[in-house]
Amino acid sequence: MKRFPVLFAVLMAFALVAAACGDDDEPSGNQNTTTSGASVPDGPTITIGAQDFGESAILAQVYGQALEAAGYDVDYQALGGFRDLVFSSFENGDINLTAEYAASALEFLNEQAGEATADAQETTDALNGYLTDRGLRATAPSPAVDSNSFVVTQETADSLGLASVSDLAGHDDLTLGGPPDCPTNPFCIPGLQDKYGIDFSDRFVSLDGGGPLTVEALQGDEIKVAILFSTSGVIADEGWVVLEDDQGLINADNVVPVLSDELVDAYGEALVGLLDSISAALTTDELTELNRRFEIDKEDADAIAADWLEGEGLA
Amino acid sequence: MTARVLANGPDSFVWWAWVGDHLDDVRDRTVEHVQLTLWAVGIGLVIAMALATLSLRFRWTYGPITWATGVLYTIPSIALFFFLVPILGLGFRTALIPLVSYTLLILVRNIVEGVDGVPEAVKEAADGMGYEPWRRFVSVDLRLATPAIVAGVRIASVTIVGLVTVTALVGAGGYGAFITDGLSRRFSTPIVVGTTLSVALAVVLDVALVIVERLLTPWARRGVAVR
Amino acid sequence: MSDLRELWEFVTTASNWWGLNGIANRTWAHVRLSAFAAVVATVLALPPAVVLGHLRRGGLLAVSIVNVGRAIPSFGVLALALPFSIQWGFGLGFWPTFVALVLLGVPPIFTNAYTGVREVDRGVVESAYGMGMAPHQVLLGVELPTALPLVLAGIRVSSVQIVATATLGAYVGYQCLGSFIVEGLASFDDGKLLTGAVLVALLAVVTEVALGLLQRAVTPWSRARATLGRPPRATGAPIPVPVP
Repeated sequence: MKRFPVLFAVLMAFALVAAACGDDDEPSGNQNTTTSGASVPDGPTITIGAQDFGESAILAQVYGQALEAAGYDVDYQALGGFRDLVFSSFENGDINLTAEYAASALEFLNEQAGEATADAQETTDALNGYLTDRGLRATAPSPAVDSNSFVVTQETADSLGLASVSDLAGHDDLTLGGPPDCPTNPFCIPGLQDKYGIDFSDRFVSLDGGGPLTVEALQGDEIKVAILFSTSGVIADEGWVVLEDDQGLINADNVVPVLSDELVDAYGEALVGLLDSISAALTTDELTELNRRFEIDKEDADAIAADWLEGEGLA
Repeated sequence: MTARVLANGPDSFVWWAWVGDHLDDVRDRTVEHVQLTLWAVGIGLVIAMALATLSLRFRWTYGPITWATGVLYTIPSIALFFFLVPILGLGFRTALIPLVSYTLLILVRNIVEGVDGVPEAVKEAADGMGYEPWRRFVSVDLRLATPAIVAGVRIASVTIVGLVTVTALVGAGGYGAFITDGLSRRFSTPIVVGTTLSVALAVVLDVALVIVERLLTPWARRGVAVR
Repeated sequence: MSDLRELWEFVTTASNWWGLNGIANRTWAHVRLSAFAAVVATVLALPPAVVLGHLRRGGLLAVSIVNVGRAIPSFGVLALALPFSIQWGFGLGFWPTFVALVLLGVPPIFTNAYTGVREVDRGVVESAYGMGMAPHQVLLGVELPTALPLVLAGIRVSSVQIVATATLGAYVGYQCLGSFIVEGLASFDDGKLLTGAVLVALLAVVTEVALGLLQRAVTPWSRARATLGRPPRATGAPIPVPVP
């Protein structure tokens, strides 16, 4: 009786079929339709990388859909949450465009040399210094900034008289909750040590990058100081206090598109100009609102981006 | 106030509209999850067959093989996934290898004990009928060991389905991706969807394997004629 | 391999061992949670399993518990427990992880204890009754001791799975060995990442070996025979959990 091998073969065939089906990347937008008048030269597909958090997905959709509307071929690639992956994906050609954050990207590439400043253009120029070697280029930074912010509850601020980060010195019992890379991130624990002389390394609880765990920990009083992202809508919602960065620890983490030289060569300044106009239209407040729709209203990134672009007349 | 509490929306335990809107995601995640499971159990079965055959042919190897697969079984797959990330990066392969290693012990032991459980008399009768050793092994020993083997495959499959949810943490997708999405924005609906689908898939696989076993062992259904 | 070198460097740096987020404290946190969950799982699972096994009832339940339990993904349970834990004032970290771990740990203990007690040789049991022993005496004095190897094996399997899965607690805020993994991934620190992974693996192996030795010490007269996943026997007793 030959049933056993036959059934085994059937199962393996099923697996192979599933593998074949699963490998198709569903490109969310691949039209070559052009808007009236605009003509786009033939060239490589623009593959936009999106990191593993809401804002990154939204930004990828914002730039992507605007480019599609202008007639470019656009594809999206999900990456894990880590900047390491972004640059290695550029290297092996998996992506050729992404929305980055000027200061954080710079400090990643210069291995935390501390070159970033509070000035967006300055920081971006420094960033470009490192990008050229990799065949990449950053276009004009957006006014929208998403950086770390140090947040306490109103009660904590009132009872301890906290208004700025410097005020945290001397209160050695305060626990800090933040993203898991905080112990080594220059804009986090090492930075607090350097610029403010406050050592949180033994009072730190590693949670998530400005996500629900951090929010809930602060709400539940399990931490006293939370690191949230400046574009997070929760801060205003809860009436929390953002401590002022009086020593200038946090630098210009403006949103800035990074693309490969290949794309610049193929599409020229027309593409760069388009990216610049999208970036210019994005403000911190608007980005915060987009995030709010994702995190609180649980809408999808592509829908949110589409609405915003329509409102701005960009798509 | 009452209307807000009763309305089904983003803050409900399950926001049904979201589920309806994301059926294509459900389909994609299902394909990923099934793929990983079938590959893991499939490859595990092939390797286990080889190891079991070795153990049955050369008895002295059974001890060391059991020890080695036992160590692989004890080392948590969860730890192994992350251990492989620096070496293989994120993705399918990083997920697959620990899953395969997890199945080996169960499958090898079930195959070996299944074959050992076949009565000597039957094996001797087959020999007497002129079966060559290999043919007897495949057509008699393994076939009669089918219930034990399938039982092992069932246990392995169901466990693997659960483990695949964790592989979302190393970039391999599947229903775990729903869970990580929900965790990242305090959104219970995808978590419920991911968890429920994982359980459902495990049940479906289990039932499918029971059917496969019935098909492979027609003699069991006919029963014993002696009354 | 440079990864192993980074692992070595991380583990041999003294400052990584001490303090709130050091290796020592996080290992202790991991052990503490796992042990507590294992004990609670045993307390919850053992009495009903033993009683039902003694009464030779509930075979279907015992089979279902382990089959359903195996199908439930701990990661999902963990994520689901989190909002409830917060809502009911139990906070992040420890309690949601605890719930998921207990749920994970109960099925193997239950099934093995049930099967162990139920499968005691009927002849032995009947002689015990014949000698005039009351049912509870038979249970405690004959059935349970005889079933002990299988019971302990179930606790052992359960504990190892609990130790492994406690790692996921880091994703809901519990500071344990899993936190090294999460932090290592986020900061591309392979040394930290591997430290977490290797320590979890070591802890699992140590748990397995230690409980195995305990099992042998307590029941020197027999070894838990692996009755791995054979089809249910005529008695209707469920398949005991795999014992490596």
